[in-house]
Amino acid sequence: MTTAFSAFLATGGRIHRAALFSLATVATSAFMPLAAQAGDAPIWTMITDQNGLGDHGFNDLAKLGLDKSVEAFGGRAQVIQSTDQSQFVPNLLQAVAGGSTMVVGVGSLLNDALTEVASSRPDAHFTLIDAVSTDDDGTPLLNVASVTFREQEAAFLAGIVAAMTSKTGHIGFVGGMETPPVVRFLAGYKAGVATIDPKIKVSHAFVGSFRDPAKAKVLAEGMFDSDVDVIMDVAGGGGRGIYDAIIAEGADHWVIAADTCKGHLAPNNFLTSAVKDVAGAVFYENKAVHEGTFEGGPQSLGLAEGAVGLCADNIDTLPAEILAKVDAAKNKITSGEVTPPDTYEALDAFVPAQL
Amino acid sequence: MSEFITLSLFASTLHLSVPVILPMLGGLLCERSGVVNIGLEGMMLSGAFGAVVFSYLTGNPWLGLGGAVLSGLISGGMLAIMSVLLRGDQVISSTAINLIGAGLTAALVPIIWGIDGTTPSVPKIPTLPLPLLPQLPVIGPLLGELSMIDVLAFALVFIVWWVLMRTDVGLRLRACGESAAAADAAGIAVTRVRIAAVILSGVLAALGGAYLSIVTLDLFQASMTQGRGFLALAAMVFGKWRVGPAFLVCLGFGLADAVALRAQIFTDELPHDLLFALPYLLALVALATFVGRASGPADVGKPFRRA
Repeated sequence: MTTAFSAFLATGGRIHRAALFSLATVATSAFMPLAAQAGDAPIWTMITDQNGLGDHGFNDLAKLGLDKSVEAFGGRAQVIQSTDQSQFVPNLLQAVAGGSTMVVGVGSLLNDALTEVASSRPDAHFTLIDAVSTDDDGTPLLNVASVTFREQEAAFLAGIVAAMTSKTGHIGFVGGMETPPVVRFLAGYKAGVATIDPKIKVSHAFVGSFRDPAKAKVLAEGMFDSDVDVIMDVAGGGGRGIYDAIIAEGADHWVIAADTCKGHLAPNNFLTSAVKDVAGAVFYENKAVHEGTFEGGPQSLGLAEGAVGLCADNIDTLPAEILAKVDAAKNKITSGEVTPPDTYEALDAFVPAQL
Repeated sequence: MSEFITLSLFASTLHLSVPVILPMLGGLLCERSGVVNIGLEGMMLSGAFGAVVFSYLTGNPWLGLGGAVLSGLISGGMLAIMSVLLRGDQVISSTAINLIGAGLTAALVPIIWGIDGTTPSVPKIPTLPLPLLPQLPVIGPLLGELSMIDVLAFALVFIVWWVLMRTDVGLRLRACGESAAAADAAGIAVTRVRIAAVILSGVLAALGGAYLSIVTLDLFQASMTQGRGFLALAAMVFGKWRVGPAFLVCLGFGLADAVALRAQIFTDELPHDLLFALPYLLALVALATFVGRASGPADVGKPFRRA
């Protein structure tokens, strides 16, 4: 409770929805036995973006990383949920003021807020997922481990699977908002499709929010109306609407997920997922702090590091010829022969190679 | 272009409009009775949540609609107590409804389902096609895209208009909003009328939320209404507190959303962020120019106390 109270003070005493939420969070974690001796035991804190827990995406994965850290190094995990951007700074301040061993900011949307807080608290340790925290001159902050994933590499593989599965020759991509990680997914995906068959049409569209399943569903339905039979969902929690739409569409329509395997949401339509090991990255940085080997600065993780790839749950169900192409692409990417594009510009300049 | 302008574009328009139309009707009734209600968003969220809880517990989505009505009665009742009975500041009381609606629903999901954020799938209202009507010439195919529930929602627009403008009850309600003192002098029980209007607005907004959660989708997700309650308020003001114009504004918002979403499928050239913002920009420009001053009921926002 003291944590919530100090956050209350830190926000200048404004009564804030964040404070209410975090009050609930802290109250829950206060039941855990170690909470009383917060001075010694490590506190692993994460701040979610608006997606919050339950996004079947990077927030849930980061939580998994926290839980692993508690198992390995003790202490307790603390999750502070943000429901809009104005809560980022107060939530981060609350985390630091509460004596967190490590503060994990989940999502590129937190970049500005985390950078602001981290530069004013150089003694605290931060991990930022999906973005690079820099000061005004563009120099990376040294107390922030800025972990970015080369999503384009996993999405490239997903694009190969999509192109070889589609029968209609029209493939879809639904993004939440046009954030850099979503664009990396999109560029890699399109490049993967083009590598198999440049004639296949890929339509991409954005919902305008990561939390609007109703609009995501309308968008997916629109795609099915124009003969899309494989659709990739990078729409965050709102992506649930896409699964709803695809179940109604029935057989021969496939969905490709992002971040985590989401097969349980539409078991008969789930094709694969471009996953990234956020849990592993969070755990790795926590371990570094625990062992005193923490080094801030940008860190890029991809296929070569085993940090991204296709969903392992159902990889065996994919046809052998698709898997052969996926493996070939994987080798060429790790060896540097093929570089999946990560921006629109790089996508325009991308020349498909023979796999 | 012909492949873009299809029946399903209009179907999307209608489906995107309904969850704005229902809370708009609620807000309109409430404000015409003289009570400001900016709590529609929270009422929608609790309605969406109540619907999913009841559908989940009973396995019957129609009882889910009942759950939405119940949560609407509660949130509307709370606002009625705070703003009419206790004569609290109406803006602040309805803000409280928003905060409670957003916070409580998000907090209850992990308590009931053990997972954060989004509930598992629950039974949803089946899309019952309309009998006979789809065979009509010209408009038949469009009607074929609608389900019974959609028709009921549109019927509510007419019912609210008719009650408000063509019945004694409606006249009394409007009198309370224009001049509570005069209405009181004429023997109208202002407090009772306002309480009824506020509760009804809770029910209508909750049904709008339920439309999202168990008609369009089959789940509840924290903050899934995404500002539609505030959009409904904007439509009400833009429509100058009149049912017909406000209804058309809601349809306009729905069409703009449907176009912004679906146009992206056909071209990469459109700036989608601008498209998403366009209806609101147009509404602002229109309000600032040719629509003229938006004037609400004269006594709206003023708590009534008998002299």
